[in-house]
Amino acid sequence: MKKSVKGIIALLILMSTFMIPGTSASAEDGSALQRVQDEGVLVVGTSADFPPFEFYAVVDGERQVVGMDMMIAQKVADDLGVELQIQDIGFDSLLPALEARNVDVVIAGMTPTAERRRSVDFSDIYFQTFQNIMVRAEDQDVYDSIESLSGLTVGVQSGSLQEELANQIPDAQIMSLTDLNDLLLALKTNRIEAIVMQGPNAVAHAENDSDLHTFVGDFELDDDDQGSAIAFRPGEDSLVEAVNESLAEIEEQNLTEEYLAEAGEYMAQTELDEDGEEIEEGFVSSYWEYFWDGTLITLLISALGVIFGLIMGSLLALMRLSKRVLIRFPATAYVEFVRGTPLLIQVMFIYFASGMFFNLPALTAGIIAVSLNSGAYIAEIIRGGINSVNKGQDEAARSLGMSKKQTMRHIVFPQALKNIWPALGNEFITIIKESSIVSVIGVGELIFQTRVVRSISFQGILPLFVTMLIYFVLTYTLTKLLNFYEGRMNHD
Amino acid sequence: MIKVNHLKKSFGKNEVLKDINEEFNQGEVVVVIGPSGSGKSTFLRCLNLLEEPTEGEIVFEGTTLTGLKEKELNQLRQKMGMVFQQFNLFPHKTAKENLTIAPVKSKGISQHEADQKAVQLLRQVGLGDKENAYPSSLSGGQQQRVAIARALAMDPDVMLFDEPTSALDPEMVGEVLKVMKDLAQSGMTMVVVTHEMGFAREVADRVLFMDDGLIVEQGSPEVIFSNPRHERTKDFLSKVL
Repeated sequence: MKKSVKGIIALLILMSTFMIPGTSASAEDGSALQRVQDEGVLVVGTSADFPPFEFYAVVDGERQVVGMDMMIAQKVADDLGVELQIQDIGFDSLLPALEARNVDVVIAGMTPTAERRRSVDFSDIYFQTFQNIMVRAEDQDVYDSIESLSGLTVGVQSGSLQEELANQIPDAQIMSLTDLNDLLLALKTNRIEAIVMQGPNAVAHAENDSDLHTFVGDFELDDDDQGSAIAFRPGEDSLVEAVNESLAEIEEQNLTEEYLAEAGEYMAQTELDEDGEEIEEGFVSSYWEYFWDGTLITLLISALGVIFGLIMGSLLALMRLSKRVLIRFPATAYVEFVRGTPLLIQVMFIYFASGMFFNLPALTAGIIAVSLNSGAYIAEIIRGGINSVNKGQDEAARSLGMSKKQTMRHIVFPQALKNIWPALGNEFITIIKESSIVSVIGVGELIFQTRVVRSISFQGILPLFVTMLIYFVLTYTLTKLLNFYEGRMNHD
Repeated sequence: MIKVNHLKKSFGKNEVLKDINEEFNQGEVVVVIGPSGSGKSTFLRCLNLLEEPTEGEIVFEGTTLTGLKEKELNQLRQKMGMVFQQFNLFPHKTAKENLTIAPVKSKGISQHEADQKAVQLLRQVGLGDKENAYPSSLSGGQQQRVAIARALAMDPDVMLFDEPTSALDPEMVGEVLKVMKDLAQSGMTMVVVTHEMGFAREVADRVLFMDDGLIVEQGSPEVIFSNPRHERTKDFLSKVL
């Protein structure tokens, strides 16, 4: 499924490239390095659920993406003489984000496979890795090789190198998920028997969780498949060369070992108590800030989505009620198109497509997408509401000499609003929940923060439960609020 | 005051009004009667252009309404009050607010002045104690009296009544007709479509009998009710009287 999403994004990007000729700059010459240095910022895309390469930790009281890759990124930026800016995006969306110019480079423990080389360029390999198999600790005597897993269900991160390697396990049922934490949870709850994971990452998790055991998998590997490299847009050779110089220095001075050790310290910092009860208490006090931040962003997106959605929905509804085809048609087409396509694709399209022309922050792109989407749904609700108001109301107001506009505003619309209130409430609640989709472009709303907490706390279920509670409190409060106002509008 | 020239109105292929010529004078009370489907309501609704005539013209106080711009039409409509069969009060507004919304919004009168006038008009129709009541808490007769007061709040030169008592329970018809009689006595120009023959006989200066999209016969109430000339008029009156 994720692959088809990637395909669609690629198609959309390709389409917009054709639609606006001359804006595509994919075949850039030696000016890429110059451009980065002129802007003074290197924007690095990563997927921060991958300790010890990239993950969240509290540094000097502030949450940051840390890890070996980020230290490499810092060194590269320093060597280029520019600032480092890190954008946390889902692993699946990294290469599309690179192509769409949302980021300059991708550093995410990414293996330069032949397939990936077809769409992007890679630096030299900066880290030789190995491929592990993760199993439950209780099974460590049963599963010790590829062969021992034959015919069983094995989990992999979708779009990853491990997804291909898993095919080497005879007759295995493959389960692909985006989030590593979901895979680990699936393993612990016996949904799958093993996970194919990148070596250091697997070791990091096993060290932090006594329920897990990992060993080096006996896969047949290409040389290409064993290392991590930095991904670039094709043709940006000057930038690749400059980065390779930094990487050569890192190798010479054996800095990766140093980086890994430092990353290990950050991980130890997030480690939790062994005692079960204390974990729960410690959990909320350790991570409440993540949930709080996520809740605020979710509320922000939802509130703006509702406000802009209402404004847009009202306009679209009025357009759809117009007698003139030229006004009616665009509104109808818009509503039908938006309702007929998934919000997920709309969010990705707006973020990635806009990235080709100007730098729209992910949060802004998310808010725009949610607003545009809710506008279409609200338009239909409002249109139904206006039609539901008795024609006699319009006639009475017009017979008194009120204009069309005044009649709509003071007579018809208030009554329509009352009729559609329950349906609007439903839509508002839907927006709160659906806004979680913007986490795919790295917006730090509630679902995104939940993913972060899961990756740094090594806890699978508890964060989900907390998040569920928060969503329920949000939607229930809203329901109560809406009921209160419905009561006040009721004069019948 | 209102002049109707060669008015025709069709809904699709159905010709509802067939070439109507008529004139209503200042201070006159005209009652329009006729069987259902005769076109009398459509005729009334054409007078303030709630229905767009298919052909012909309506002239009101010297201005031709048909083909007029939206804005000018709105201004002239302010002078033509209308009362509907189904009252059509604004359910989300109190009785007083029903009376003040149009004067304040479209005539630009101050809220204070409109409020004072509304209270006075509600008293005039016998509902001085209901100014803060919402329509849903009023009886049909009370609602229709508020609707009449609402039309009067615009200071109209003429009042159009579209079967104002047809949707009322029988015991409430009297209170509405009483308000209409008072209005007629005060010299208001009125065009009333109704089935209340008693009202027509007592109050009308002139009665129009309509059938099949035409004004078949007209005259003073005495002439129409005691001595109708046309067969169709006789036939209709024999059924309703």
